[in-house]
Amino acid sequence: MKVDEVRVPLRDVRKAIKEFYDPEKWHFITVNGTDLGGKVEIKWFFAKYGEKEVFKVFTAEAGYDDEVPTITYIIPSAWISEWELADLLGLNVEGAKKGLFLEPDSPQAPLRRG
Amino acid sequence: MGRKITIPFGSQHVALPEPVRFVFQTENERITDVDVDVGYVHRGIEKACMTKFRYMQVGYVVARVCGLCAISHTLAYVTAVERLMGIEVPKRALYLRILVSELDRVHSHLLAMGHLAEVAGYENLFMHTFRYRELVMELQELVTGNRIQFDYVCIGGVNRDLTPEVEKELRKKLKTLKEKVFWLKDVFENDYSVKYRWKGIGVITERMAKELNVVGPPARASGLATDVRNEFDYLPFKEVGYRMVVRNEGDVYARNMVRAEETVNSLEMLFNVLDGMPEGSIKVNVKGLPKGESFIRVEAPRGELFYYLKGNGKMVLERLRIRVPTFANIPVMKELFVGMEYADVPAVVISFDPCLSCTAR
Repeated sequence: MKVDEVRVPLRDVRKAIKEFYDPEKWHFITVNGTDLGGKVEIKWFFAKYGEKEVFKVFTAEAGYDDEVPTITYIIPSAWISEWELADLLGLNVEGAKKGLFLEPDSPQAPLRRG
Repeated sequence: MGRKITIPFGSQHVALPEPVRFVFQTENERITDVDVDVGYVHRGIEKACMTKFRYMQVGYVVARVCGLCAISHTLAYVTAVERLMGIEVPKRALYLRILVSELDRVHSHLLAMGHLAEVAGYENLFMHTFRYRELVMELQELVTGNRIQFDYVCIGGVNRDLTPEVEKELRKKLKTLKEKVFWLKDVFENDYSVKYRWKGIGVITERMAKELNVVGPPARASGLATDVRNEFDYLPFKEVGYRMVVRNEGDVYARNMVRAEETVNSLEMLFNVLDGMPEGSIKVNVKGLPKGESFIRVEAPRGELFYYLKGNGKMVLERLRIRVPTFANIPVMKELFVGMEYADVPAVVISFDPCLSCTAR
């Protein structure tokens, strides 16, 4: 498996993805968040069309109160993964609505530690 | 000035096998806007896998994400763990994994094709399709012990070997199934009613498929040649005659025909798996604990299934993330509806073969 992982500051994520992403060549898989306790590690995953196990991953860290920039200007289908981040990890993702999976009386941000 | 009406579709609807709610804003029955709620069956499975279960148990928990897709979920999880822990799976187990994986694809595709016939009002075809789907469920029971919700794949291999008696029965029933599937494919391909009901409806162009990152049969029906079986070496598909099915029309008819042709290819692969089944053990012992991160793509019947896991050398995982194909296809569905006649909604929704148990998990 060939994985090119790039660590970028949160504020530069959108710019980095914009410079890299070509919808003809790359397939956006999803964005994933892992709670590290007090902050969340966010990864944006891409796979190359037609090639065996070639991936590009952008990684950034966000505090619970930081605003996570949306990439829907570049990849319109990313909204659903971003809404999931907002819902299940309680992140403040630019333009994302809460309630994709959770009801108002559900436990909030269930994928955070503790 | 058109007449504006708000029409809810779901969460319970005669066309829907699972709960999802679309709220359509329409003007003279043409859709102008849509809102979607996919969270009716959210069960917190990821959270449970990170808190309540040991990593050896998680494969059996993720099989409960969805009864029908159980094979794909467990396969994705155990492959991610095996790669992380450097476990080499016996060749016989890999072939047995192809066997159950392709049986599941046949099962799932026949289910989708049957439902599509039903929403077209073609109940006779729906009943025929489901009758032959029953044969696949019998085969799955023979191999795994269960008709659905299979606990067949495990870390290090598979849980059950193929006996000569089961193999004999499999070959016999697969032969019957192949004949029936060829007949079904011919009907779905050439029948006047279905052909003209679905052609030109719900068209996704190749450009749209790329921009909205469509996966699975809907992508391949739109000319986007992507299939994880071709892009990720999780099982030796090339050895057993896998070929990618791609069409260019992008409509409901094409999505259905991709499934029909893939069903035929899956059956061919099943015969090749039985013919070329290697001898040897079906499982290796697993020692150690997962440390580090791993991710994997698997071609589930509905499209690309993505698993990400992170372990920290303890019995319980630090993170497990599941991104299912229907979740990836919701954005294109939402785009597709705008401008469409409301009457076409059931066929278009079902042509994606949506799995909401997987999506909400």
